[in-house]
Amino acid sequence: MRRMDSLAAILAFAVAIAISPAPLLAQTAGPAAWQNDLTPIGAKDWNRDFAAHLLERAGFGGTPAEIDALAKMTPQQAIARIVRYEGTDVSHMPAFDESGIRDPGLEPFPPSRPAVTDMAKKNGEALGIKVKPTGNRRLQPIVDEFFYWLRASVLETNRVAYWWANRMLTSPRPLQEKMALFWHGHYAANEPKVRDYRKLLAELMLYENHGTGNFRDLMVSMAQDPGMLTFLDAGVNVKGAPNENFAREIMEMFTMGVGNYTEKDIREAARAFTGWNYVDLKFVVNKDQHDDGVKTFLGKTGNFDGVQIIDIIMQQPVTADYIAGKLYRFFVRDNLSPELQKKLGAVLRDHHYEIEPLLEAMFLSRDFYSAASVGTHIKSPVELAISTYKKLGLENVPGEPDFNAATSALGQRLFSPPTVAGWAGGNSWITPGLLLERGNFARDVLFPDINFIAPDRVAASEEVRRVADRIRQGMDITAATIPDTKTGEMAESNMSADRDEDFNTRYGSFRGSQLALERVKPIPRDTAQLHLAKMVLAENPQNTTQVVDYLIRRFMRVPPSDDVRHELVTFLDHELGTSDISQAKTYLEEPLRLLLHLIMSQPEYQLS
Amino acid sequence: MKLNRRDILKAGLSGLSMTAGTALRVGVFGRAAAALAAEAESNGKILVILELSGGNDGLNTLVPYADDAYYKHRPKIGLPKKSLRPIDDHFGFNRGMVGFERLYKDGKLAIVHGCGYENPSFSHFSSMAYWHTAAPNSGEQYGWVGRLADTIAPEAPPNFIVNIDTHQSLAVRSRRHVPVVFDDPNKFSRESFFDENAVFKANPDNGKVSNPAREFLLDTARSAKSASALVQEAWSKYHSPVDYGIVGLDLPKVAALIEAGMPTRLYYTAYSNNAFDTHVFQNDVHQRLLTYASDSVSAFMKDLKRIGRDNDVIVMAFSEFGRRVPENVSLGTDHGAANLMFVAGNQVKGGHYGQIPSLAKLDEGDNLLHTTDFRRVYATMIAGWLGHTDTRELLNGDFQPFDMFQRKA
Repeated sequence: MRRMDSLAAILAFAVAIAISPAPLLAQTAGPAAWQNDLTPIGAKDWNRDFAAHLLERAGFGGTPAEIDALAKMTPQQAIARIVRYEGTDVSHMPAFDESGIRDPGLEPFPPSRPAVTDMAKKNGEALGIKVKPTGNRRLQPIVDEFFYWLRASVLETNRVAYWWANRMLTSPRPLQEKMALFWHGHYAANEPKVRDYRKLLAELMLYENHGTGNFRDLMVSMAQDPGMLTFLDAGVNVKGAPNENFAREIMEMFTMGVGNYTEKDIREAARAFTGWNYVDLKFVVNKDQHDDGVKTFLGKTGNFDGVQIIDIIMQQPVTADYIAGKLYRFFVRDNLSPELQKKLGAVLRDHHYEIEPLLEAMFLSRDFYSAASVGTHIKSPVELAISTYKKLGLENVPGEPDFNAATSALGQRLFSPPTVAGWAGGNSWITPGLLLERGNFARDVLFPDINFIAPDRVAASEEVRRVADRIRQGMDITAATIPDTKTGEMAESNMSADRDEDFNTRYGSFRGSQLALERVKPIPRDTAQLHLAKMVLAENPQNTTQVVDYLIRRFMRVPPSDDVRHELVTFLDHELGTSDISQAKTYLEEPLRLLLHLIMSQPEYQLS
Repeated sequence: MKLNRRDILKAGLSGLSMTAGTALRVGVFGRAAAALAAEAESNGKILVILELSGGNDGLNTLVPYADDAYYKHRPKIGLPKKSLRPIDDHFGFNRGMVGFERLYKDGKLAIVHGCGYENPSFSHFSSMAYWHTAAPNSGEQYGWVGRLADTIAPEAPPNFIVNIDTHQSLAVRSRRHVPVVFDDPNKFSRESFFDENAVFKANPDNGKVSNPAREFLLDTARSAKSASALVQEAWSKYHSPVDYGIVGLDLPKVAALIEAGMPTRLYYTAYSNNAFDTHVFQNDVHQRLLTYASDSVSAFMKDLKRIGRDNDVIVMAFSEFGRRVPENVSLGTDHGAANLMFVAGNQVKGGHYGQIPSLAKLDEGDNLLHTTDFRRVYATMIAGWLGHTDTRELLNGDFQPFDMFQRKA
């Protein structure tokens, strides 16, 4: 048997050589001299590969039809179509479908469970719910409500993420979604800290509507955004005792980058932001908490408020360099020279911080199409998932595998950037573990898991599941919530988790989850509708080599080595029992799925 | 595994010109020799690093309850003596830290005071990068753990560094080694169908690679192939009765790999995502974080004893900075400077190291002045524990190691 296999392999190899001696798999890239050249690419240099490259970077990849459409235009027209998208109609795209989970009384939401119960003990009520007059666990309904909102907000945020992912996949304005993703990574507010999907949705809408607009205006909006104010503890920044976190991150992460200001500048800026707060979804300035005294900031002196501080930051040349450099790294490549960064910063300054002209200059530049840029970007998990779906020709993001669980396992959960620095990107997306996981994601798309359980329909933790089981068995709350212990000594954290008799935290966690399950709408759980045989047969391939080459061209921006390509042809020959496609037409689908899984598991599939 | 002409040619070149990828391509004979050399150089000891990210508040971790200045700086969030776990007439551990209290009383916990560096950065990212590279205020691009591996195991045998996290730390970034980075051992596997295995197992020649991103991906793929089966097997065989607590961190995974005899000498784990960044209402949450960390480290020590490797392993814990000495108005603390470091292990001589920083004489931003350059502690790990005595080149300076271990390495 093995001998036959190798014989078949050798034959297939020979056939492959005979039929396509020089497969044109590698994508076109411009000459090395184009690197760092911001001159617009000429119409005679424009080709289909460059159109594909533009769609990869300015959006989430393209289907063959989308690539063809751009390839037929001049580069100026193609880039204007992508960047100046205001005229492209998106009225058919649905607004987010709210579950309606918000209860009156949740605002202001306390920072922790102890803060809730302290508030309840002090005021006789909290979260709009009164303490029971007598009896055991008098605070329990309040604790239940606290955990309800925590869980409901997480689940609704997951629905917002799905809605957004569908926009990324289907919007005729792919750059609008890509820019929203950039700003989300830039401002990096996360659900675990903000704990209110409404604030995160409001931020997303800001990115969607102003993502290619004026950066100064966006920065002011973000500095006054309730989600951001929650995220950076600005609400506790008051006159006489400024909290520096907000001012520090605005300078370090959002505008200038580290090293361009002093600790004193941070303290002075923090004073200018004192009193900036929010009530529910509205920005407010608490005048009595605002320090309107004289501040000296970056060499300027005056009775500055927060907006004036931002304007002074915008006057620093380094701010434009920082933002332009960050956009470049996101859209083009990781390595850029200080000279190129300065040139890009100048473009942004010359346009008074308007983002659109900078993007247009970047995407038009020869540098963007040079060998240093083409095929050298490691796709982020969200880019990987969306571009996979796009190239498969899907019209919606499948419910299975779960988009949030899958991208989370790969290191990028929407609305959950790991820190205020956002996602590091580049090589940091890849570890040995994550590289394997990327192949597993492809497998889950191509071969849906028959044991799939929807993560939004089950307990979020083992502990909640255990408590739920015991409560259903009729146990009392104390017995039901005693933690499971292993043999041997119990760790301190497992002994001290629940000692207050006014309420039971573990029960609250269970009950809150149950209430959230009831009220948050479920995510539809359809699997990907794939027709690979149809897709491939439309190209009229004669042999397995042509099939492999077609799929490599369609799905990969950087082809695998010749050795791997031959392995893939050999594999398909073996699965089909022939290299002649006309004989295998009627049973192509499953072998093609396996083949595509192998292609999507290649290291090169991660590149765009 | 087959070698092609190019591999052999490359293997023949000097070590200095080898990249991480080519080092792995050296081949079986090279690998065995490399493993032996590494064994000799690193004396079989294992170093586990635990990063507490976000800037742990050292003053509320080990409280100087006998110093009135502490309570003056922290009238609201200062922890009263009665709520502490005193270890002597000056200091008491945060009440959540039963595990550390026990380790200290058993003489297995070294506390190093006043760790920091000149011109401290108050940025999480910059300061963490300085700790990761052991090169404050410089642009060093390789991590100190990575450079340590390059020095003591220049032939770069596979699986020498393990970094358990969702992303690779700068600390393990190495010129020659490809660190094994994974988060969930159950998912650290290629889930393939039977028919596909031949393709996945093949070791194709990748041809000429000029795209650096592609080269990086190919190197990572090779590392994944060599490590994933080992890690999975170790984890599936690991059944420990030891309770690591609610969070556990990643130390059970380290224990599993050590128990399975993984050739790893350097483990890097983190309590990640700035968990310790306690700007507001810090006391409850800080106590909880400390409990999780302390539970996990002390459980790890018990587990090592169970495995029979407690004399071969130590844990070093650090944070990118301490916190501001005076509390802020939000019942929290802002980013500070000097801080404590901890080293735990059966071979550790427990006690206090370094000079206790003054709470009366602070810098102009109300931060502790550092008394111990943190690289002295790194030097202690490298020379005192791993037995590589020449730390000067590695750490770019002379840093006197502490005498911290029972037996000379």
